[in-house]
Amino acid sequence: MAGYVIRRLLWLPLILLIVSFFTFCIARFGPGDPVSVAAGQIRDEAILQQIREDRGLDGSIFEQYLRWGQGAIRGDFGESLQQRGFTVSEVIFPRMWVSAQLGFIALILVFGLGILFGLIAAWANGSWIDPLIISVLLFLQAIPILVVIPPLLWLFAVQLNLLPVGGWDGLIDIWWIKGVIAIPIPDPHLYIPLVAFSLPGIAGVARLMRISALEVQNEDYIRTARSKGLSEPDIAIKHVLPNSLLPIVTVFGFALASIIEGAFFVETLLGIPGIGRFVFEAVGSRDYDVILATTVIFSTVFVVMNLIVELIYGFIDPRVRLGDTR
Amino acid sequence: MFKRNKLLSILIIFVAILVVIVGGLSASLLLSGESEESVNTGITTSTQAGTDNNLSVGQLRLSGSDPVTLDPHLATDAGSAEYIVEIYSGLVTISPDLELTLDLASSVDISDDGITYTFELRDDIFFHSGRRVTAEDVAWSIKRALSRELQSTVSLAYLGDILGAREYFFGLSEDITGLELIDDKTIQFTLDSPKPFFLAKLTYPCAFVVDGQQIEVNERNWTRKPNGTGPYKLKEWRLSEQITLYAHDRYHLGIPPLKEVVYLLSGGSALTRFENDELDVAFISVNDVERARDVTSDLNPLYSVWPQFTISYFAFNIEKPPFDDVHIRRALGLSIDRKKIAEVTFSDMLAPATGILAPGLPGYTDVDKTLPFNPNRAREELLASKYKVENGQLVTSQGEVVPIVITEVGGGAEARIDTQAFLEQWRTELGVNVEIRQTDFATYLAESDAKQLQMFNGGWIMDYPDPENILDLKFHSQSGLNDLGYQNTAVDELLELARSELNPDQRIALYRDAEKLILEDAAWLPLYFSQNHVVVNADVNGWFEPPMVVPRLRFIEVNR
Repeated sequence: MAGYVIRRLLWLPLILLIVSFFTFCIARFGPGDPVSVAAGQIRDEAILQQIREDRGLDGSIFEQYLRWGQGAIRGDFGESLQQRGFTVSEVIFPRMWVSAQLGFIALILVFGLGILFGLIAAWANGSWIDPLIISVLLFLQAIPILVVIPPLLWLFAVQLNLLPVGGWDGLIDIWWIKGVIAIPIPDPHLYIPLVAFSLPGIAGVARLMRISALEVQNEDYIRTARSKGLSEPDIAIKHVLPNSLLPIVTVFGFALASIIEGAFFVETLLGIPGIGRFVFEAVGSRDYDVILATTVIFSTVFVVMNLIVELIYGFIDPRVRLGDTR
Repeated sequence: MFKRNKLLSILIIFVAILVVIVGGLSASLLLSGESEESVNTGITTSTQAGTDNNLSVGQLRLSGSDPVTLDPHLATDAGSAEYIVEIYSGLVTISPDLELTLDLASSVDISDDGITYTFELRDDIFFHSGRRVTAEDVAWSIKRALSRELQSTVSLAYLGDILGAREYFFGLSEDITGLELIDDKTIQFTLDSPKPFFLAKLTYPCAFVVDGQQIEVNERNWTRKPNGTGPYKLKEWRLSEQITLYAHDRYHLGIPPLKEVVYLLSGGSALTRFENDELDVAFISVNDVERARDVTSDLNPLYSVWPQFTISYFAFNIEKPPFDDVHIRRALGLSIDRKKIAEVTFSDMLAPATGILAPGLPGYTDVDKTLPFNPNRAREELLASKYKVENGQLVTSQGEVVPIVITEVGGGAEARIDTQAFLEQWRTELGVNVEIRQTDFATYLAESDAKQLQMFNGGWIMDYPDPENILDLKFHSQSGLNDLGYQNTAVDELLELARSELNPDQRIALYRDAEKLILEDAAWLPLYFSQNHVVVNADVNGWFEPPMVVPRLRFIEVNR
């Protein structure tokens, strides 16, 4: 088992090499360059050319890539051109952290509620509750985020003045009672983004859970458990749920990996300093170092999460034996 | 059975640990004093005493964005400049009335030949740290701005008139010949030729004074807590969250009456936050302008409009047919109704351009010097040209089709609404179909630098209030910024005379004549001058939107 894990992890450097080189080439062969973008209105080609040389943006693609690679291995991803005076790490990690926090809470919500609704829908299969749940969730999934956010903002922020219009203030806020007792509550900046984020996702998970649970419900051992006299809730929680979680685990794994990617729309509309918006702007500004660093980090997280998901599979389902089959 | 219970409990514990870690980290960050306490509202109140300052009061809340940089020698964008002009200062500055005034300098002596500028510094100038500013700091700053290691894309453009600056920048010489430190309080610049616009260029951030002692110690991170000489010091910068500026209590031009300015950087609708009493100033967009203009609305008494030194225009590449023919250029200019389009598509939030020099600039007159909307004259020009219209396209006398393609920056979804309107007018009035091509910003820059664009939508923001900044830089045939291939010897002569003309009135007259010729040649079709539309909280006194970025916070007061 350990051997299997190590063998899988050995692929990681090769994958990163290919992904980073590919991204490197695409970025540089395209039109435009970061020095040109960073230059102001008054542009002098001689000045820009000297700066390009000094920054190592001349020379063959392999030379440039080697230079980048040497730094990257040491963890030095270069300097951001969109935010001068800061290294790429200093600029992207705080933003990834914010996106991850928001994404993680949303993930818990999505999967928690999704699994719950999916189970209920499957259990209520045949009655009107099942299609009702699924229809409502599909309706919520179909509404684009751009449409959801303004009415929420209008109602809760402008009219009722309960929530802030945008921004980010961490996950936990302190609610002071009489200036003496401190109660930690989830920060109000979270509520609207979470709603916007979660609504579409719940439907997807619920449907997956429902299908999976329906399959399990028709298994022999469930019929056996029922005939043995076990109560429905007991059957649902102790037998149906764990067995139908397998596909959810896969989806959860990748959803977890993607929380560091951020979400462009929500971040832009609600002023959340996340990575989604920043990377988009980096592409527009040809901030090569930022683009490369984020690509490398995303790839690493994906590969590792892929592996973790497979391991969890092996753990949950004793029928799956990893690495032993020849 | 046993295994599943174990699995469930492991999962629950795992999730619980994650939640605790994440929540705990953010709670500890919140409580560690990094942020001021925000108690269930969006407003951050300052509870710190800070530098005790009985003369300054109040807090102003503005919307802003993260500066690209706070290094004045590197900044090229207006967003960064807005902070930089408050945190740093230079020898000269621009007043709110757009007058060139002394800042760190107490006097400037210009030699009769206009080549030597001798500045004497004030006695009472201090960095935010309390250290006195000397002429050596000024000299160090200029040299640093032009140094090769800094890799500044802008400094040579604004300081390049100093003798030897170019050689120093390109590493051909160890020193800047024209920069001389006379004594502790006196510094002298020698130019490569008489240039009356030199002082105006010195108001640009490239010439601002930075603290050499601070930079030498911490070359990479010093901009996070810069030691400047401007009216405000940077108290705090939380990336993408907030920037706080605090009045400098030893500022030589008078302690600012406004103690603290907070910029909220997180984005979201500024107007919504303004109405929620989270911001004191908000820009009005075309979606809200009707409400602002409505005399019965709450916004109306708070609404004001301020002209800007920003011009947008169509530019023709004179080396590419059909724009090698002045009649075609004029025909396109005469067949568009800019007033109507500004009214309909932009709700009159832009002023149709009346020339190249915007209102408020020296040389501006309110006579409309641009081509009027006159479709008949347009068709006459078309007939007079060497091209004919066939099937909606221009063709040469040999029958070769010459398509017209406008390149603009865009995301590919929809062209600018005004461009679409212009296209419609060219089709109706001239029978010519013009095509629109969109590229992303970086690509546009690359093509525009390589002078590959046939016709494009451009914009220019004045860097300093002098016509040289636009007329000379964009239209002189030898200028690197002339992306039109425009060559007019008469215009060149006027511009060259104006470069060294020391009499201000005669200089302005030369620029006026040059502007007239350029407009007759229709190398540009000036479209609009921009305006800033804002609503300002009634508690704020003296707010103004200057036509270009100049220091202004020290003229503002807040009564709360």
